[in-house]
Amino acid sequence: MTRPAEDRTVLDAVRRGDQRSLEELYRRHSPRLYGLLLRMLRETADAEEILQETFVDAWRRAGEYAASRGSVEAWLITIARSRAIDRIRNRGARLRLVKQSEQLASADAPQPEPPDVHAQTRLRKALGTLPPEQRRALELAYWEGLSQSEISRETGDPLGTVKTRVRLGLQRLAELLAG
Amino acid sequence: MTHQEFLDQVDAYALGALESGEARALEQHLTGEGPHPLCEAALARARETVATLAADLKPVSPPPRVWEGIARAIAQGQESAPRAPAPASPRLPVSAPAGEAGKALRRTPPWTYAIAAAAVVMLVLGGINVRDARQSAAMAGASAAECARELAEARIDVLRKEDALQLLLEPGTQIVSLKPSPGPPTPLAQGTGVVLFNPRGRALFLGKSFAAQATRDYELWLIRDGKPIAAGLLPPGPDGRVFSEVRPDVLTGGRPAAFAVSVEPKGGERVAPRGPIILTGAVAAP
Repeated sequence: MTRPAEDRTVLDAVRRGDQRSLEELYRRHSPRLYGLLLRMLRETADAEEILQETFVDAWRRAGEYAASRGSVEAWLITIARSRAIDRIRNRGARLRLVKQSEQLASADAPQPEPPDVHAQTRLRKALGTLPPEQRRALELAYWEGLSQSEISRETGDPLGTVKTRVRLGLQRLAELLAG
Repeated sequence: MTHQEFLDQVDAYALGALESGEARALEQHLTGEGPHPLCEAALARARETVATLAADLKPVSPPPRVWEGIARAIAQGQESAPRAPAPASPRLPVSAPAGEAGKALRRTPPWTYAIAAAAVVMLVLGGINVRDARQSAAMAGASAAECARELAEARIDVLRKEDALQLLLEPGTQIVSLKPSPGPPTPLAQGTGVVLFNPRGRALFLGKSFAAQATRDYELWLIRDGKPIAAGLLPPGPDGRVFSEVRPDVLTGGRPAAFAVSVEPKGGERVAPRGPIILTGAVAAP
């Protein structure tokens, strides 16, 4: 059974109220989600809180998951990012990307697990082939939690241009990662 | 919204780069008359691509307290009901142990009777005291599991009351009563509440008689310099009571002029209330 198929089986059990299966889901996905939240939110306490909310939300909304709209991992990432973006927009944080590495390198930062080097290499190669402005638009949306309107204000580019960059950038990325 | 309009925006939607109104329009398209196989496939592809962007990150093991918090939230029974209203901030407010709260009360000087009276009002508002909670837990015992769940809920209530009492006893804390907004009453406007506001950066919202809405959330706002600032959702418990910590980060920009509660689509609004304002209360000048 593939990992996505296993995830669906585990989530089915969560849907039936099996807390041990939720723990299994947490064991499988929390390290990647926590790494994502640390990078987006840059504060350990916020990242922990949103991670907790994500899995409580997954427990409560397991019945709403639809395999036709993506994998379990993509569903969990959607929940986590959505909550993280809310947090970023609520606190008005608009820190620049350059600060991220400084924050994450602090002495009390949690220790990372070994990365999936193959996936990283593929992604970096794919990102490297995108036009810089498309890559920038994706980064501002993904890591900074900016909406397209906010990206337009941030970069000074027309909103329509930003929308086109986001759409073409993500579609191109999908093609590169699939190929 | 047409299928083509959905397809044009689905990438931005998966990235979380749409404004809330635009995002809702896409969600309504998917839940509208279907089927939408092309739209769903496009959403799946976009979500997978967005998920892949996280592959560049190093996975980090979260500390054990995160899972402990999840298990505690589920054990409390607050999250056991499928599709219950989403809590915005389920984190339990940090409370001192009961002994510490008792010491704080013993240190209270006589001139704080007015505050103590307000604390009693608070307890009445909450509607549960320690003895009632323990009795209810003891009597509920049709089964050991049911008893344990009741007792856990009672403990949470006790901790919340102690937390509120401690905030009340902090110098500078004021009680901001939120009153129904002027105008004809609406079916949603039955809740009442107060904000315990301390200008040093802490505030709690306590309310009662809030009916859970399947498709809407109650949202707290603070008004500063004439502008609304989203201060968190207010998820009602099964008994209609609300106990929510106001986000500390929104309290750091100076004394707000007022607090307000609105009724918004699920998930709340980010910039300004769009739904009806059901409660408002002015913050007294220092």
